[in-house]
Amino acid sequence: MSSGAASNRAGATSVGGSCRALDGDELLAASGIGKRFGRKLVLEDAALSAKSGEAVAIVGENGAGKSTLLRICAGLVRPDCGTVSARGRIGYCPQEPGLFDLLNADEHLALFAPALGLSRADGVREGRRLLKELAFPVGDSTQARRLSGGARQKLNLALALLGDVRILMLDEPFQGFDHGAYVSFWEHVARWRAEGLAVVIITHLLADTTLVDRLVELSIPQQDRTEGERR
Amino acid sequence: MSRGRILVPAEMTGRELARRRAALGLLTALPLTFYASSAHHSNHALVTGEIAMAFSIAGASIFAALTARPVDERLVLAGYRPRELLLGRLALLELFGLGVAALFSAVMVFGTGPSDWWALVAGVVLVALTSVPFGLAVGALAPHELEGVLMLILVVGIQLSLESTQTIAKLLPFWGPQRLLEHSIDPTVAVGAAVPVDLGYALALLVASAYIMRRRAPIPSQPPLTQVDREHPTASA
Repeated sequence: MSSGAASNRAGATSVGGSCRALDGDELLAASGIGKRFGRKLVLEDAALSAKSGEAVAIVGENGAGKSTLLRICAGLVRPDCGTVSARGRIGYCPQEPGLFDLLNADEHLALFAPALGLSRADGVREGRRLLKELAFPVGDSTQARRLSGGARQKLNLALALLGDVRILMLDEPFQGFDHGAYVSFWEHVARWRAEGLAVVIITHLLADTTLVDRLVELSIPQQDRTEGERR
Repeated sequence: MSRGRILVPAEMTGRELARRRAALGLLTALPLTFYASSAHHSNHALVTGEIAMAFSIAGASIFAALTARPVDERLVLAGYRPRELLLGRLALLELFGLGVAALFSAVMVFGTGPSDWWALVAGVVLVALTSVPFGLAVGALAPHELEGVLMLILVVGIQLSLESTQTIAKLLPFWGPQRLLEHSIDPTVAVGAAVPVDLGYALALLVASAYIMRRRAPIPSQPPLTQVDREHPTASA
């Protein structure tokens, strides 16, 4: 494991600029990312990259902007400055499962299928296969609101994996998992890497950092920390 | 834009709505109760019923839009276009709204006995057609449920409190149906351009919803099953 691609440095100001071309097997490259929410500076000159077959962990204290960086790289949040280049379909698994409470797992799969260019039958079949791998009770017609936290998270993860995903972005995907599911999750990460996916995972667990190829550590931007102390 | 990419979101919106049985009962009972409570004054009862129907259908649309928002971003990331999700939702909610309108038209025609019952039916149908885009626009704009409901109460409440001849009333989304319902009781009330103005209003609200949804989805949708190179040089600070 190599580590240290630390970013989010204080003081630097990067504005716009041209996109960096992706190197050979690089699937994701983000650089100079800055983001404010109102007066709060969340990210400053942050960077992230991931290659095919590589697992990258984003770590950092609460409020360091880990989820924001991931959402920017997924294209869900527009940064104030910086560039993101991505090659291939992105599968994004949010921290809070983005599910319809009153729909069951198969209905979620059927809903996602047309978006991915899959027929309903193919989408449900492929989704059930993924859910089975994650030890989700396949064929269960329980509505999402009545699923356990772990089961909701497995459905959340399966939806991110559905389709021809090349870059997998996981925001603390194992919340609610029991020990067995957690161990199994990392076995899956190893398999996804072997299949050539770029896997980016946000985690708070130190043990996880030994299971990835590279760490990206974020810290709270200095300006925001200073303002916080002044307040 | 394939049919399935609109029909499947419509179907899932329908399944969600159908499972909210208590809410469905209340959404249907609300306009009937409002109408019945003021049925002794025929002219006022029609407008009160119309406004309650707008509350009911627009309320359902607001909650459909707000409930879907966290999932919509994933659906767009997966490959849906925001307008496909919007059109699917619109189709299903209009179907629901027209169902409520059919029931409510029958009740009001028999309950009030208007001199021009076609105008009454047209007014009620127009409420349904306008309420859904209005609710979807509020749902797209409001940050949370509370703000959405307060926006609904504000607009619809003002409409209820105004005479249809007042200038401000003419600027609100339910002025057209209001004129039609008044005309159904008193044929001397001129309808004028109420219908095209209201349909134009509904279309403008729909376009506004689509615009807001698109703004929330900052990257272009990914085409299905193809690899894409995405680069978004971002707005400068």
